[in-house]
Amino acid sequence: MIPLLRSELRKVTTTKVLFFLTLAVAFFTALNVFLLVYLTPRAMGVENNDELLMNPDYVTNIIGAAGSSSIFVLILGIVAMTGEFRHMTITSTLLVTPRRSRVLITKGIIFLIIGAVIGLIAFATAIALATLTLSGKAHAPIDTDIALQILGGVVLGFAIYAFVGVAVGALIRNQVAAVVGALIWVLILEALLTVFVDWIGKWLPGGALDAVLQATNVSGRGGSEVLSIGAGAAVLITYAVILGALASATTMRRDIT
Amino acid sequence: MSTIGQALTVEHLSKRFGKVHAVQDLSFSVEPGRVTGFLGPNGSGKTTTLRCMLGLVRPTSGAARIGGHVYRDLDHPGMIVGAALEASGFHPGRTARGHLRVISDALGLPKSRADEVLELVGLADSAGRKAGGFSLGMRQRLSLAAALVGDPGILILDEPANGLDPEGIAWLRGLLRGLAREGKTVLVSSHVLSEVQQTVDDVVIISRGSLVQSGTLADLAGNGAIRVRVRTPRRESLVAALQASSGGNPPTSVDPTGPDELLVTGLTPSDIGRRAFLAGVELHELAQQTNDLESLFLELTATGTPGGTA
Repeated sequence: MIPLLRSELRKVTTTKVLFFLTLAVAFFTALNVFLLVYLTPRAMGVENNDELLMNPDYVTNIIGAAGSSSIFVLILGIVAMTGEFRHMTITSTLLVTPRRSRVLITKGIIFLIIGAVIGLIAFATAIALATLTLSGKAHAPIDTDIALQILGGVVLGFAIYAFVGVAVGALIRNQVAAVVGALIWVLILEALLTVFVDWIGKWLPGGALDAVLQATNVSGRGGSEVLSIGAGAAVLITYAVILGALASATTMRRDIT
Repeated sequence: MSTIGQALTVEHLSKRFGKVHAVQDLSFSVEPGRVTGFLGPNGSGKTTTLRCMLGLVRPTSGAARIGGHVYRDLDHPGMIVGAALEASGFHPGRTARGHLRVISDALGLPKSRADEVLELVGLADSAGRKAGGFSLGMRQRLSLAAALVGDPGILILDEPANGLDPEGIAWLRGLLRGLAREGKTVLVSSHVLSEVQQTVDDVVIISRGSLVQSGTLADLAGNGAIRVRVRTPRRESLVAALQASSGGNPPTSVDPTGPDELLVTGLTPSDIGRRAFLAGVELHELAQQTNDLESLFLELTATGTPGGTA
């Protein structure tokens, strides 16, 4: 198992996609911090954010920008898995490991770890920029407990989300179709579905991720209910396992020609 | 740390893709310590057979075994079998060294192994270059390097000479001969016999998914009996004269190729001339056909057992 994990890790470190998507996460997180700090006051029609800064929820939301770039982690998992089929490296992968479910499980584990590390980077980016922009100004103190909850949520949420990406990629082997499909689901379909069937929202993947990331957004998800962090994580993992099992029974069994 | 090879056996292997019968009831075996050429025209089912052997394609029926086991049941397949299937299985952004390290990691081998095999295939200078920028010949060498990472006893190479220049082909020949000498099993596919003629000991020839012939290269050459083209205004009388038991051994075959022409297999020109003279049949031409292996191969694969629709 260890050699296979090392091999899967090597696959990610020998191409650039991990680097660029991590960079995208850091950049997007930074962008969100700046939007909250500089644009929110304008949107609210106030001169500056002096007053807002005294509101602990506002400060929490700035650090919570760490959770804003989850989509990139999902895409990373999808690209890594579908890339094997796109570049036909799946052939050499399966020559070494003919048991295909083992390949899927190892890749899933590696991306759990990678997702967690990217979550850590997103949190570090958010807390560093928040500290930097708030320095010298009077603001509500950053609550260590809440900061730790955000850290935990982002690390856990990103880890599982990358794992979900791997499972999606195994099921939809066409890279473009998988990425576009995932984006359409996350950005449009899930929201639409929730509008029509309200109770279903918290049970869908995005809703489950929101539950895990709930510490990052104190104002909540437009008033919709979310599950507890643990339940959200369990639901999200269940999605990954179901998608992975479905892939093992269908697409991953196909002939490699 | 050289590993001795095991035998490969293909037993009644069939594979259908939809309506296409890619491989049909194919059986043959490949022995260690020899280089075996797996020959057939393009689309004859060679790659499908190799992919069945390696667990990448599920046979419709029958099996391919490696030392008695199907590929999926091997404990550490990468240390037993090395395969180079096509020159396209690389991430274009990954370096040659990176590609090989992914494999050596999975096999639990030290990182240095990648550079060793790169040296072996003559790619040491390009170790840090991305595979996406490689020429076809370089890709072939990298594929070969990947097959050699685990120092396996069995090598399965699909058209390894494709894209290599004459110098590269000569180098490949030396490498494969050397590996066979070490006792490894080497199976090399090709659609051109002349490409591997000087490399292989044994041949397995398939056409349209079915076996045409398997045996040693020497057997194949011997099998190519003499063929003589005869022109005579009295074709039927000559046929009768040749097949008359009084004349000696009968010819293997006598095929009319024109109104006054015959193609006779299994008799020498002097034999035919003597019998024609004794029967009083006038001859206008008596010519032995040049009979090189390549034309024999073309003939075998063209008239091979009727295969599937492919």
